[in-house]
Amino acid sequence: MAKRLLRIFGPLILAAVLVFAVLAMPVKLGFSHVSKSHERQAAVSLSPNVLRGKHIKEEALKDGFVPFFGSSEWSRFDPMHPSVLAQKYHRDYRPFLLGARGSQSLTQYFVMQNIQGQLRNKKAVFVISPQWFVKSGTRKDAFGFYYSQLQTAEWLTHFRSDAIDQYAAQRLLQMPAAQSDHFIYAALQRVASGKKLTDYQRFYLQTRKNMLTQEDQFFSGIDLPSQNLKKVNQQAQKLPTHYSYSALDALGGRLGKAATNDNRFGISNKFYHQGLKKELKHGKLKDFQKNLSYTKSPEFADFQLCLDQFARLNTNVLFIIPPVNAKWQKYTGLSASMLKQFDEKIHYQLQSQGFNNIVDLSDKGNVPYFMTDTIHLGWRGWLAVDQRVNPFLTKQQEQPKYSINDKFYSKKWQQLAPSDLKQYENEAK
Amino acid sequence: MLSFEPYGNPTYFALLGVALLPLMIGLLYGKRSRLYETLISIFFLVLTFGGPKWTQGVALIIYILYEVALTWGYAVYRRHKNSGPFFYVMVILAILPLTIVKVTPAVENGQSSLIGFLGVSYLTFRAVQTMMETRDGTLKDYNIMTFLQFMLFFPTISSGPIDRYRRFEADYRSVPDREKYLGMVQKGIRYIFVGFLYKFILAYYFGTMLMPKLQLMAMNSRGGFLDLSWPVIGYMYCYSADLFFDFAGYSLFAVGTSYIMGIETPMNFNQPWRSPNIKDFWNRWHITLSFWFRDFIYMRLVFWFMKHKVFKKPTTTANVTYIINMLVMGFWHGVTWYYITYGLFHGVALVVNDTWLRYKKKHRASVPHNRFTQWFAIFLTANMVCFSFLIFSGLLDKLWFQ
Repeated sequence: MAKRLLRIFGPLILAAVLVFAVLAMPVKLGFSHVSKSHERQAAVSLSPNVLRGKHIKEEALKDGFVPFFGSSEWSRFDPMHPSVLAQKYHRDYRPFLLGARGSQSLTQYFVMQNIQGQLRNKKAVFVISPQWFVKSGTRKDAFGFYYSQLQTAEWLTHFRSDAIDQYAAQRLLQMPAAQSDHFIYAALQRVASGKKLTDYQRFYLQTRKNMLTQEDQFFSGIDLPSQNLKKVNQQAQKLPTHYSYSALDALGGRLGKAATNDNRFGISNKFYHQGLKKELKHGKLKDFQKNLSYTKSPEFADFQLCLDQFARLNTNVLFIIPPVNAKWQKYTGLSASMLKQFDEKIHYQLQSQGFNNIVDLSDKGNVPYFMTDTIHLGWRGWLAVDQRVNPFLTKQQEQPKYSINDKFYSKKWQQLAPSDLKQYENEAK
Repeated sequence: MLSFEPYGNPTYFALLGVALLPLMIGLLYGKRSRLYETLISIFFLVLTFGGPKWTQGVALIIYILYEVALTWGYAVYRRHKNSGPFFYVMVILAILPLTIVKVTPAVENGQSSLIGFLGVSYLTFRAVQTMMETRDGTLKDYNIMTFLQFMLFFPTISSGPIDRYRRFEADYRSVPDREKYLGMVQKGIRYIFVGFLYKFILAYYFGTMLMPKLQLMAMNSRGGFLDLSWPVIGYMYCYSADLFFDFAGYSLFAVGTSYIMGIETPMNFNQPWRSPNIKDFWNRWHITLSFWFRDFIYMRLVFWFMKHKVFKKPTTTANVTYIINMLVMGFWHGVTWYYITYGLFHGVALVVNDTWLRYKKKHRASVPHNRFTQWFAIFLTANMVCFSFLIFSGLLDKLWFQ
């Protein structure tokens, strides 16, 4: 009987032991090299697998790619898109686009957790979308879509249990995605209440992290989407061989005009016909953003997580604040004074803590062909971004001096009306 | 609170392995502990229907009490009397909860019913079968505890295979000898590993990686004749592959687990893609379901039609019954136009198939039969089945009405 049992279960036990051994191994295997073409593909893929993973990002960032944090604007590949310009004109940097539709500050904070080595004392670009700062902050399903157990496990193995960690844990606990692993959930509860992890939890997290890291190395490069790289190559062909601002500005105008000629908003025809036209016909969109506000939101504290992290890693960051298409804004009734107030509040949060590299484009919403649709940068908008991004990344920059203030995690700051900013500032002094 | 889809992730299988180990040792030494089996059944039922899904758990408990009352009540009644109408009323009552669960989404805008839970169909099939065999007199010694074990046998509770009361009882009351049991364990382990290949590699590739892309392409290529396009064809094959590997994989897990528990739950699939005709396909695809329909709907209807001389010709009787049988199966899948069309399609296919086979029999000399026609028959059957799955998938509903 023993012989027969061994024949039945021997292979099974052997297989289980081997799989577990390979996955739980704390060392990297030799065949984890990421090729240059894979890096190029991943950098523009906007694939959620890449965002949730670690290995490809890490390798690419070691290789001259610079993290560009943001969201849906990255998918607007026209000839002036940062990835296209960097490739065409052989810049010393290549953008690694991090984020896609629905990714906001909280997602980006966790994305940063397993590329810390590649952020420390380096540079980064960060696009702040005013649209993130709605009353309820990041959508739970969108956060869940980009949620990565690997990043959470990695964060939990190096957290320091102060304001940043407590806030991040509390915020994560509000998300259904945090419940995807019971042990991680229990660990988060301890962090949120300021307690240390138990020995068992630390052991579990370390093992889990190793397993997820190996999985990421084995599988995250499979089935990488390639259509965006194709788009980048096609768009690059439309650009003149030698860089000249005036030529590009003129080209941007020409391309923009041709692409937005069948509607009164200066919205790209393609976007306009994808459902927008139909909804406009019903008249539902007239004044529909009248009561929308970006001035009070939990997103301000989530954003503080990113700032805090950058400061800890001494990352020099260029922030970009894009405008809203002015014609569209007028039509939907979105308040211009509210947008201005948002701008003031975010400026205060940035500058009072020493983040002074800000490309504020919020007043450019009526420049022709600046936006490709309602809220996303296009032709001339991208060009304006490039005017600042290129020197920032290619020239020596002054070392930033950050002074982080935990008050930006408070409910008070999240809900502060920008009209009370002056008073708030005085109280703080 | 832990909560799992049955056979959904590695943790579930790890727990399964640990829970089955004592049971396996017992069976090797000729012992079957009812108590232990009941305990692990309850444990896995709580894992499946507890935690965030506790409402389903409550629905399951109430449902089981209800079906026990009906089947037990009928078994007691049947010992003394045998009235037709009373039997019909009891069957209708037994099917009532399932009917409510299936009709609710159609009338309540897709809302699912409060009394529903994972596996309600398969439990209903088992209960109705028990009742019908009680009426036939083939099932004489109905026992509540055995019936509960039969209904709540955790490896097959969520999606079958649909076992039969008497077959289950015979296995459950006995212990296989060591030689036979070792063979069952060997088979069980092999089934579970083939299941891994089917469900977690092949079905994952077709269903999770490929299918959403094809669906998006199909939706973006609308505008042609009936909104059809090449991606729709791709989707059709991809969906069929996913459906097969997902369900066959699940069934292998269920059968494999049963074997290790010393119960020879019947197999659900037997190389369906090599069927030369549609009738043979239904003998190989979701076998326990199609045999259930054959024994308890098709055969019963045919007898009833013949007894009451409703149709003159036996072929008409068979044809009408085919259509009714498959329509019922369509309705069982859900009250939507595409499930019902799917049922009707298969009913008509069975009628056409029978007519052709009769024609072929009559004209043996003039209809060629060789290796080529054999291959052609398999090719035609597989493609027709894939087409029926395209209807079943609901993609056409999305293409045309969304």
